[in-house]
Amino acid sequence: MSKATVATKRLPAVEGVWVFVGADMFFFAVLFFSFMSDRVKQTDVFQASATGLSADIGGINTLILLASSWFVVQAVHAAKQDRGAEIAKWLLAAFACGIAFWVSKVIEYGDKLGAGITPVTNDFYMYYYTLTGLHLLHVTGGCVMLVYLWLRARGGAYNSQRMAVLEGGGIYWHMVDLLWIVLFPLLYLMR
Amino acid sequence: MQARANDYGTWKLMAWTGPIFFIGFFFMWGLLASNFPPMAASTSAEGMWQHYKDLQFEIMLGMSVCIVLGSCYMTFGIAVSRVMRRIEGPEGMLSNMEMMGATITYAPILVACGIWLTGALQVDVLPPVAIQTMYYLGWMIIDIAYMVTSWQIIAVSLVFLRDKREKKLVPSWVCWWGFVTVASFFPVSLIPFFKEGPFAFHGMFNFWIAFPTWYIWIVSLSFFIIKAVNRIEIEDGAKAAKEVPVSGSGYAAAR
Repeated sequence: MSKATVATKRLPAVEGVWVFVGADMFFFAVLFFSFMSDRVKQTDVFQASATGLSADIGGINTLILLASSWFVVQAVHAAKQDRGAEIAKWLLAAFACGIAFWVSKVIEYGDKLGAGITPVTNDFYMYYYTLTGLHLLHVTGGCVMLVYLWLRARGGAYNSQRMAVLEGGGIYWHMVDLLWIVLFPLLYLMR
Repeated sequence: MQARANDYGTWKLMAWTGPIFFIGFFFMWGLLASNFPPMAASTSAEGMWQHYKDLQFEIMLGMSVCIVLGSCYMTFGIAVSRVMRRIEGPEGMLSNMEMMGATITYAPILVACGIWLTGALQVDVLPPVAIQTMYYLGWMIIDIAYMVTSWQIIAVSLVFLRDKREKKLVPSWVCWWGFVTVASFFPVSLIPFFKEGPFAFHGMFNFWIAFPTWYIWIVSLSFFIIKAVNRIEIEDGAKAAKEVPVSGSGYAAAR
């Protein structure tokens, strides 16, 4: 193989983003482990409570986040191919998904709280509110980040030579998506 | 304006108050006063009273020392702020935010340790529920004041990430770990709502994750700040040596 055909391996974004993502996912892993540990002790309570959650809403949320991740991938691809005008559009689409997720969670929380189900109802709902709440905090942070990236993209900040920040944002947003993909079956589907 | 040569000693001394803080706190607050691990939030009032009765001297000594040692967080914060100004300039807002954050972080430490100290001091004349209330109060104050420290950590991380040196004064991973630390703090807001489980103040997340995460940050930052002050002193020395004209050359050049 000639030297010209050897692709240079490159770590997307900067190392620090991976440190952050790794540590953050470790935190969630600890919480998932804690959830499973308590589920083993109170299987009946957890199973009965899980039936109170709408798998349909959880599924819609999953689709929203998967779509948003796809939009971010498209934004990064656009930057790689120097299609500058497209980057901002894809980021805006991803941001709209983030808002849609927010609206969905507000409706879901409102429904549960309206039915008198709070974090102190039982241990399942304690985990439900805290895990989804922490995840929603990540979504909120991600939305702020997407707006920042969108504003910068409109100013032509990203292209094939300058995309570390965009990639870093994308990695974070994928992590938010991935966490939800674990949360969804853990809370909504395990009955 | 650069520091005068005789300022470096003070600067280094203040940088070293970081290790004094975290080592002292680990032994006096954590081990001697038995906060590592802490008493469970679900412990009965009688159980808490007995804990304070059994460890009265240890808690009194530990908390008395911690009230004094806590001030080292402030002095360390000043040393950090001074290093940060080398990157963002003398008018930098983030270095001011760091210094304010470090200083105000001392306030909840001081108040919480004072409450626990008073609980131990008065254990013989207070009913169990009063001891329990004081124990909770200390935890609520020391834990939920995390946002002040978070602003400090965010300021530190942002500035050192912007360091343009080839070899940064504080490595990027410490800055990113700072963001991780801030992220780990947010669930601490849940401690009033849980007496059991990962989100109680003694719980798996809010104690065993949030505290060690911050501890790794402060230990790492202290190490690199001490090194940074030494590096800055050497850099300044080299710069000053370049600027001093060779004796007589100025006159010779003028002629």
